[in-house]
Amino acid sequence: MTATVTGPAVARLSHQPLPEARLSFGGVLKSEWIKLTTVRSTVWAYAIIVLIQLGMGAVIVLSQPAEYLAQSTPADVAIMSASLGVMLNQLVISVLGVLVITGEYGTGQIRSSLTAVPRRLPVLWAKAIVFAVASFVVGLVAVLAAFALNAVLLQSRGVSVTLFDAEVWPHLVGAAGYLALVGLIAFFLGALIRHTAGGIAAAMGLLLVVPSVLGFISAEWVTVLGQWLPMSVGQNLFFPADVFQPWQAILVMLGWIAVVAVPAAILLKRRDA
Amino acid sequence: MIEATTLTKRYGAKTAVDGVSFAVRPGLVTGFLGPNGAGKSTTMRMIVGLDRPTSGRVTVNGMPYAEHRSPLHEVGALLEAKAVHTGRSARNHLRALAATHGIPRRRVDEVIDLTGLHSVAGRRVGGFSLGMGQRLGIAAALLGDPATLILDEPVNGLDPEGVLWVRGFVRQFAAEGRTVLLSSHLMSEMALTADHIIVIGKGRVIADAPVGDIVGSTKTFVRVRSPRIDEIARRLGQPDVEVTSTAADTIEVRGVTAEVIGDAALQLGVALHELTEITGSLEDAYMDLTRDEVEYRTTVGASAASGASAGPSAPSAASASTEGALR
Repeated sequence: MTATVTGPAVARLSHQPLPEARLSFGGVLKSEWIKLTTVRSTVWAYAIIVLIQLGMGAVIVLSQPAEYLAQSTPADVAIMSASLGVMLNQLVISVLGVLVITGEYGTGQIRSSLTAVPRRLPVLWAKAIVFAVASFVVGLVAVLAAFALNAVLLQSRGVSVTLFDAEVWPHLVGAAGYLALVGLIAFFLGALIRHTAGGIAAAMGLLLVVPSVLGFISAEWVTVLGQWLPMSVGQNLFFPADVFQPWQAILVMLGWIAVVAVPAAILLKRRDA
Repeated sequence: MIEATTLTKRYGAKTAVDGVSFAVRPGLVTGFLGPNGAGKSTTMRMIVGLDRPTSGRVTVNGMPYAEHRSPLHEVGALLEAKAVHTGRSARNHLRALAATHGIPRRRVDEVIDLTGLHSVAGRRVGGFSLGMGQRLGIAAALLGDPATLILDEPVNGLDPEGVLWVRGFVRQFAAEGRTVLLSSHLMSEMALTADHIIVIGKGRVIADAPVGDIVGSTKTFVRVRSPRIDEIARRLGQPDVEVTSTAADTIEVRGVTAEVIGDAALQLGVALHELTEITGSLEDAYMDLTRDEVEYRTTVGASAASGASAGPSAPSAASASTEGALR
């Protein structure tokens, strides 16, 4: 360090009583918001998500052959192009989700956090809520921005799309929702494993490795199982797929989150920090 | 007031803290001493609920730390330097901790000023030196204006000015009737700062007494130098007096006071060139107490090694000492 630290104040501590200072869940939410927004990894990850969503949408719109555009409905083209980035962004949001919690374990921050909130679980829930809401909002911004850019590009190719179509906007909201939900699976995996590398490996395994391994096995029940994996379920939310109704897809995703969150919560309560 | 009752922590087969009971009273600075691996840090972590006791319990002002409605107002703890996300600035770290309890922004600025971090508060903690990390840890401990302070090795890495400042505010804290539990390896620092000492070794309490009693327990002796030292030595020779010759004209006497020796010399008509009462230090007392309890002993040469392997501490030695009683 080059800066010189000025001499410490004399021992006298100020004793104007602090106004009613109480630990509250609202306070923990605020604390987690401050934590999420004051590290660079968050800013980088969210910026990358917007860029990928815009970039992949533009590439797909400009590269599709005219026949495809002629065969498909404008709504399908709009949904596909605006949502495509989610396929890559689910990995980015998963890395961020893991980092949000394992970054605390890796640095020792978790011991400061749990000393301030010794009941522990409020930290886990507040972190999950803040991360999910921020990710949903950023995801929605990214998807809408991609839609707007694609609409302009499609216009130049003679296809006009509108957001206010009962087919279109629910899928765009679904894309943002999927990012938040898949991010939560990764977050709780991170809480369970407590190591950045291990957490990221587990999340990538669930999203990428398990589906491709199952793809090699040709049996009816394996195909069905594959449809229940997070990435397949998510496509019912942001692509025109029809295995699950949107509400069913959301329930299955919440089920996945619960499967990881419950042991993560139990272990957070039990383990030494 | 911190009260531990038969507090025990086992990690697998290893017992880090073994049925420890003690009370840390308000209005005093209580020093927590012990060799590396004796269980000091584990005990401190159990007080604030970071480690779960295997058995026994520990309370702060009557209830477990986690059950307080305003934990940071109850206990301020510095358990390790830099328990902080390295990518966050010092100020934002403190803001995030303060937010959990609704502690106002001005208090964050106040502890930054108090700990002398003003010029670096906006920097990322990853680049902090050990000393600045300690200052930040102390700032975090002070945030809630706590009734109890728990500081593990607070002066580690601090400059002399910082050491002086910690001593000052810790004493001030106790003078205001608050509770202070402090661990340190610097015996001279502890002797200046603490009123009461708890010594722990191999997970057990070895001694729990006022600092004066601990120091008083070490052997004091009188150094006597005289051209006719043999005559004095002969005169003092009694069964309960131990006389050791350290030089041709010097002896060390245990078992009688300097006054008795001076009077004896006068009666003999012998000149005294030196008559010095030498009192043990806290360091000596600590070394005496923990001789058998050291977990990681540095051995030099074969003789030292054989001394070290003389066996694990006799359990009787550890259990014989109860509160206030010293071996």
